[in-house]
Parts: sequence; C-alpha cells; structure tokens
Amino acid sequence: MTEVFSIDPLIIKNDYYIEYRHSYGKTSPFFTNLAKGKIMATHCEHCNKTYLPPRNDCPECLRETKWVEISGKGTIHTFSTMYFAGEKFLKDVPFYLAYVELEGVDTLFLTRIKTKNPEKLKIGMKIKLKTARDPEWRATDVWAEPDE
Amino acid sequence: MVAGGVTYFSKARKDKTQEELVAEAARMALYDNDINLDKSEIDGSVTGYFSDHFEQQLKFGAIITDYLGLNPKSHVRIEGGGATGGLAIREGYAQVASGLLDVVMVIGFEKMSEVNTAKGNEFIALASDTDFDFPVGGYYSGYYALMARRHMEEFGTTEEQMAMVAVKNRNNAQHNKFAQTNPKMNPYGMKDGGSIKVEDVLKSPYIAYPLKRLDICLMSDGASVAILASEEKAKKITDTPVWITGSGAGSDAMRAGDRPRDKKSLPLLPHEKPEWYKNLDYPGVHSFRAGREAARQAYKMAGITNPLKQLDVIELHDAYTSSEIQTYEDLGLAKYGDGGKLVQEGQTLVDGEVAVNPSGGLIGNMHAVGATGIMQAVEVFWQLQGVAGKFHGSDKTQVKGAETGLIHSHAGTGTYVTVSVLRR
Ligand SMILES: [Zn+2]
Repeated sequence: MTEVFSIDPLIIKNDYYIEYRHSYGKTSPFFTNLAKGKIMATHCEHCNKTYLPPRNDCPECLRETKWVEISGKGTIHTFSTMYFAGEKFLKDVPFYLAYVELEGVDTLFLTRIKTKNPEKLKIGMKIKLKTARDPEWRATDVWAEPDE
Repeated sequence: MVAGGVTYFSKARKDKTQEELVAEAARMALYDNDINLDKSEIDGSVTGYFSDHFEQQLKFGAIITDYLGLNPKSHVRIEGGGATGGLAIREGYAQVASGLLDVVMVIGFEKMSEVNTAKGNEFIALASDTDFDFPVGGYYSGYYALMARRHMEEFGTTEEQMAMVAVKNRNNAQHNKFAQTNPKMNPYGMKDGGSIKVEDVLKSPYIAYPLKRLDICLMSDGASVAILASEEKAKKITDTPVWITGSGAGSDAMRAGDRPRDKKSLPLLPHEKPEWYKNLDYPGVHSFRAGREAARQAYKMAGITNPLKQLDVIELHDAYTSSEIQTYEDLGLAKYGDGGKLVQEGQTLVDGEVAVNPSGGLIGNMHAVGATGIMQAVEVFWQLQGVAGKFHGSDKTQVKGAETGLIHSHAGTGTYVTVSVLRR
C-alpha cells in the first residue's frame, strides 16, 4: 500500500535503493596497503611532488606517478568537531575531522582524529596516522591520533 | 538583462510542483517588469538545477521547456553545484553575445524539501570527493568549518564577526517579501524566522565548530528566471536595460586539501600590491582561488580597478557567514585578513560603502541551489533599475543610486565560482 502523507496537496512516499560496484582503479594499492599497516602516497619524479590522496597521474605534468611509503607522521593544519552530519554519519557525532600536513607529502589529507582528550587538540599538534586491523576498504581504514 | 522573476521561497513549497514554481517566476519575469516582449520572441532557454536526486527525476529541463511552452526552441541544462545559477547566467550571456540567439530565458530551480534535511546534506556532500572526503564523514558544514578555523588561525577572524554577517543578511531579509526567513511578508515563510541579534547567533547550537546553526545558509524550494537579450533587442524591450559588462569563471580542486599553499598562486587585482601578501601561502584552505580568478577576469572585462569604491551592490554566495568574509577578500573588497573588519565596520550594510546581500542572501533569503545564482542576478537587476523596493514590498532594501553591481556564484568548497558585473 502506498503511504500517503496528505490529500491536498496529495503527498505520497517514494523510495529508491542503488547498489554500486565501485572500482578504486589505480588507487587500489592505497587501500590494500592500509590493510598491511602501510601508508602509501604517489610521487611524481618529474615535478618532485607527492600526493595524498593518491593520484595515478600527476596533475601538473600528466606523467604517471610512482608509489612511495610515507611515515604517516605529521601535524594538524586545521580541525573541527562535527556535531551534525549527513544521514550516513549521524550515528557517529560528535567526531573530529582534520586536514593534516604529513611528512614528505605536498597536499593536505582529510582524516578523522581519534582521541580521548579532544580538548587538547590544536592546530600544529603532532599526529600519526593509524590503520585498521580489520579493513572496511574505505578511507576510514586510516585515521589520525595525537602523537605528543 | 531585461527582466527578472522569483517565487516566494520556502523550506517546503508543497503547494506546487517544481514546474509550477518555475511558471510562477517566469510569469513575474514576463508580466511584472514593465517590458515590451511577447513570450513568442524568446529564442531559447537555459535551465540550471543542481541535483537529480532531490526529486528523483532526471532531465528535468525537458519538463520545464514543455511546461513553459518553449518547445521546439533551443535548450541546454547547466549544472555546477552551488554555482549552477551563475554558470547558467554566463551560458545565457555567451549565447546572446555570440549572436546564436537574440533573447534567452535563463531558468533556475530546486525543490529540496522532498527528502529530510540530513539526507539533503548527504546529497550535497556527494558533490564532494566520494572516495576520500565523504566516507570519513565529510559534509559541507564540516569542510567550511575546517576552512573557517584556518581563516581564524591565519588572520584572527572571530565568531562575533561571522555572527555580524548572519545578522546583516537575516535582517535585510525581513524587508524582502520573497525571503524564507520573513514570516511577516512571505506567506510560505519560516514560522520561527524574523530578525536576529549577534547574541542569538552566538547562542545557537554548533553544527561544526566554529559554525553554528545561524551561521549556515537555508535549504529552500523555489525558482528564479532572468531574461537576457542582445543590445539591439534589449533597447526595444525596455527603456531601462541592465548591461552585463563583465563575466568571469574560475575553478579549483574538488578536495580543498589538494590546493596549493605557496607564494606564487595568488592572482593580484589591479589595486593590490605584491608586498601586501609576501608572507601569505595561497590559497590553502582559507581562501577561494576560483573566486579570485573569476573576479580578476570580470573586473578586467568591466574596467573595475577599485572594487570597494566602484561597486554599489553585491549579491554574494553566503553559504556560510565565514565564506562571506572569505569572499570579501577574494573579491578585493578588503585585504586578505581584513574581511572580518569590513563587516564589523558596517561597510557591507545596505547603506554602507558597498551593500552586500540586501536581499538577505543564502542565509536570509533562500538557497534553492539551482535558483540561487539567478535570484542574485534578478536582485541586482532590480537594484540597478531602482525597483527593488517595489518588488520586495519595502523600500528599506533599495541601495540608493546604485549604478554598478556584482553577482558571485560559488560551488562546493570553491570548485567553480562565477562573477558577473552589471551596470545600469
Ligand atoms: Zn608531474
């Protein structure tokens, strides 16, 4: 039976579910290496730039990049507490997001910060990336924790 | 530009379908603007809308051209997130300026109320990187909070200054009968709308620090329509056309973290000196390079060399109070770092040096995504014609003697931005 919310104007319920078979393409090694506890970035030898999130193709020169392992150490560039979120993440609030500057990486990396002392978080604080033991094969398989 | 129309904006216009809302705005454009134009003289249309998800209807443009009786004439749909409206205006401008068409109707719309607010936020978040940014819980208020905190760190911008933007825009909207936050004049307005004070903003709940509920724009149902015409045709249609004298568009990386942070990526405007910014890493996550680039192009084309002095009225994409402050700087109204002071000094009030968002903007008036940039064009058009008060139902929004205006349309975390300069 169609669910009806109102008669004038007539308002009914519709829904829609989609399953995607999503390929990570050439960035797949980033996710499969996280499962081994390694954090990999991509490096363009021509431009001497290192990208994370990874890119198979350097945006500056369009040559192909190479994988390099990084330490995962870095600092908080900016961070914020999420008290609200999109529908999918409402169950997680409050949580902490940060752009982090990572050793050997030219871009900023967006990640969650997990900490028992959120009041101590500050811009410039040292962090280290951690990886999940049981991978979900998503960007949440890596996160930052304070390292000081 | 020869005519403009908008709907009443609302959290939910359940009384009409999308195409019925568009007809409401198109009828105003055709019949309330004192023009000499028959609908049959329209040569084609551009529609702008953001998401097919909101209404579970793809290719909505075909429904619109049919419903407005514009078939079998030329039509194209433009999509560019939050900048959809500005990009649609630029497309209409290009079609006319190139001589392809003489008269174009540019139509923007969105009906965001058929899904709940968290689902709506999720749809908007899907317009960010879905491999790396969305899956960690990224969404737009979160991205803007991260940028705002960095702006505070770099430049000392305060939550009070952000609150002043909310107060200005929300309170301007109380004199615009179409505005969603204006329950006195808009029959579909928010029941808990009305004017606000700085303390109300500071006391409203945090969504993502430092952004609070009242720092964040609306989600709306509604439509807006602009009619553009060639110079020759425009002079026949109206005695008071408004000329688009500059058009610029910029772009930037989808993931704000991928943008440069260096000393060479800042395009300077004519009135700026390189020594002002010799220590500034740009754009980083605190500034919008696409907005700066769009302004640079539009100013060059329109001969704007001192924007704060030359511009009288601006409708700017205030998705967040912080992004209005950031955009003051990108548009060259204030030095980088001085955006907060500009609002604090009252320079962007209706009677200030340059009125910014006299309609109420996205915070006070509406944000029905695809309609937003076209609403801005309509608002500045009415301002330059001196008829904003007549349309709004109150003279308090009219910028006295406005001759030159600007519209700024912005997508994502600054992925696409358009700037257009309009003159009376
Ligand atoms: Zn390269």
